[in-house]
Amino acid sequence: MAGSNGKLREISRRTALGALGAGIVGATVASWPRLTGMDIPGRGDNSLSIAIMGTAADAAARQRVIDAFARVHPEIRVKVQAIQAADWKDFFTKILTMVAAGTPPDVVYVATEGAQLFAEKLAHPLDEYLRRDAADMKEYFADVHPSLVEAFMYKGSLFQLPIDWNAANMYYNTSALQQAGLERPSDNWTQADFRNTLAAMRKARPQDFTPYYWTNRLFGGVVPWLYANDTSFLKETKSGGGGWLWDSFYAQDPSRGLRSGGYQWLEPNADDPRVYESFDYLRGLVKDGLGVRPEEGGGNSLVGLFASNRIGMTPAGGYWVEGLHEAGMKEDGFDVQFFPRWRTQRHQFGTAGYAIMKTAKDKDAAWEWLKFSSSLEAMRLVFPTPNTTPARRSMVNEQLYAGRGPKHWKVFYDTLDKFPTTGPIPAPPQQAAVETALMKNVSLAVSGDERQLKQALDSMQRDLEIALRRQA
Amino acid sequence: MSTATTDMSTKRRHGAAAKSKTSGKQRQRWLPWAFLAPTILGMGLFTLVPIVASVLLAFFRWDIISAPSFVGFDNFAEVVQDPTVRVSFLNTIVFVVVAVALQLGLALALAIMVQEKLPAWLRVFFRSAFFFPLILSAASVSIFMRYLFNEQFGVVNWLLSFVGIPAVPWLTTPGGSAAVVILVYVWQNFGFSFLLFIGGLASIPTETYEAASIDGATGWRKHLHVTLPLLSPTTLVASVMAIINALQVFDQPYVLTRGGPGDSTRTAVMVIFESAFQRLEFGQASAIGVILTLIIMAITAAQFRLSKRFVFYQ
Repeated sequence: MAGSNGKLREISRRTALGALGAGIVGATVASWPRLTGMDIPGRGDNSLSIAIMGTAADAAARQRVIDAFARVHPEIRVKVQAIQAADWKDFFTKILTMVAAGTPPDVVYVATEGAQLFAEKLAHPLDEYLRRDAADMKEYFADVHPSLVEAFMYKGSLFQLPIDWNAANMYYNTSALQQAGLERPSDNWTQADFRNTLAAMRKARPQDFTPYYWTNRLFGGVVPWLYANDTSFLKETKSGGGGWLWDSFYAQDPSRGLRSGGYQWLEPNADDPRVYESFDYLRGLVKDGLGVRPEEGGGNSLVGLFASNRIGMTPAGGYWVEGLHEAGMKEDGFDVQFFPRWRTQRHQFGTAGYAIMKTAKDKDAAWEWLKFSSSLEAMRLVFPTPNTTPARRSMVNEQLYAGRGPKHWKVFYDTLDKFPTTGPIPAPPQQAAVETALMKNVSLAVSGDERQLKQALDSMQRDLEIALRRQA
Repeated sequence: MSTATTDMSTKRRHGAAAKSKTSGKQRQRWLPWAFLAPTILGMGLFTLVPIVASVLLAFFRWDIISAPSFVGFDNFAEVVQDPTVRVSFLNTIVFVVVAVALQLGLALALAIMVQEKLPAWLRVFFRSAFFFPLILSAASVSIFMRYLFNEQFGVVNWLLSFVGIPAVPWLTTPGGSAAVVILVYVWQNFGFSFLLFIGGLASIPTETYEAASIDGATGWRKHLHVTLPLLSPTTLVASVMAIINALQVFDQPYVLTRGGPGDSTRTAVMVIFESAFQRLEFGQASAIGVILTLIIMAITAAQFRLSKRFVFYQ
């Protein structure tokens, strides 16, 4: 019996080990596509892999565009990979890790924040394709403001076609304005008018209400105030070249003389007296309880707070409209106006579009995707609601904002038309380091006394010097 | 059956037994290794190789995209001179001192209270309740805390307003943000130390307390002279783990304050992340990582060395 028990134990152990082994082999085989990354869209086949920032739902929403593209180009298979990220910086980080892993996508949706990083290191210029298909592209450029295009020029070459964009305009709560006994601000209101408006709002609603709420970030933070005061935290210059594009597509544009081969931000400018002046103005708003000390991070919480009538004014782009609508805000509950004038009324904007990676398997196919994505047909499919501002002027119309507001939706595109010097977010190839240097000093600069402000700007100048000295 | 045959058969049996014994011994020798192999392989691939690669990378300049170039000790020299790195290490040390003291103090006090004063069913409840924050994602908790500690609309300031305390700028001033980061970190992590202390307390023999009672020790004296000394091995383990964890703090300050205002809540690991994945300076990030690892090793070694003086084993 002992022998048989022993045999039983031996068989049982073998069986167990065998089963374990079979289980491991089975699990390995079953998860092989995941282990090798073959399940990543576009990997292992000849599909054009496209990375966008967003959720799986965003990728699914692109399906209609993919289907439409397949009707025009049945020979090109497209797979969209949505990468979830807190902000553009996080998204670019993930793209870079994909590059490091040797599995970069072929096409990436890149915003202004990363435009020069991609142009410098990762992206393929579109010049040859634009020259070749100039006749096809004329209609697109005629519908898109040159300021947006110039934001994607880098050292004389174009790297992306703007698909959507947003300027930092000023949203205001209409009932808060009425309670303060004020009319809609005029188009050319000044920073002094702005302050008076905030003071009136504060007087009308002293409790549980914030007249001006802003977040500490590159878009919509301190930069619009610097631009309005005709300065910036980086010295802005422009590179030569690019004439081929402007002469081909914008020869008759009244702002043709302003256009260049792209923006350059090569030196820090935090020690400019106007930078001090702008920060001091914001410091005054904070000190007098008219504006908040800006918090770090995104402004996601802001939509709910604004929609619940607890915020008077905040700078944001056209992307806010759908968010406010979904948060239950009535279309006449809010409105939008240009950013206030100071020495200028130059606005800040950010734009985004597809970039073809240098490593793309089939650049011609990638170009066809870019060309199709910039068509009216594709853009109408992508932007059925105002969750951003389409780059095509013709799409920013009554129909897009119907039932959602704001009443003065024309402000969005008029920002470019009325203020043609309006410029992109300062985003050199070292943007991540530059943004960190800016953000880390802003809240200190506006939250203390004059001495603290001076110290914070000195620190910012030093940090920016280090950031720009570093390789992108 | 002849005698010779019997002898042969016996020899064969003995030979087979000896062979089986030898193969059994051999099996005994390789079997543990076979079981350990997956772990050793995993450790080698996913721990050892990255450590070695990281140390090597500290001597190169590499931005992922271009080929790495050897720069010797330049990365170390640059990070040592970088004021942001210096501040972040100082912040980390201050954070470790305050957070670990609070974490261990709170965990010990609550463990003694729960173990001593409460009925069994409440003990089970509190053990689960105190451990619960640990299983939550630090990032999710921090996002939630951002809302709670919002200066204008946060619940914390709303509650404080009932007792006449004006709105506190929790996340927008250096002191306030550091306090919130520590508070959130301690709240989320003390449950682990709490469980260790509960285990340690359970292992102290009741006779020791009875003996102390007979000798006249009561209340806090009992804990001072019995609980704390006998809990010292647990305290050592808890403090080593708490310090190592705290030195690597990242999620809470990153999500709550992004290191701000200024550099007030920027930690060493945050600077590693920013250097590597935002500035694409993987060599410098590795150099900071190497320095942090050496600091962690030195502190842990010092703890074990000092432990000879204050750890008592029964």
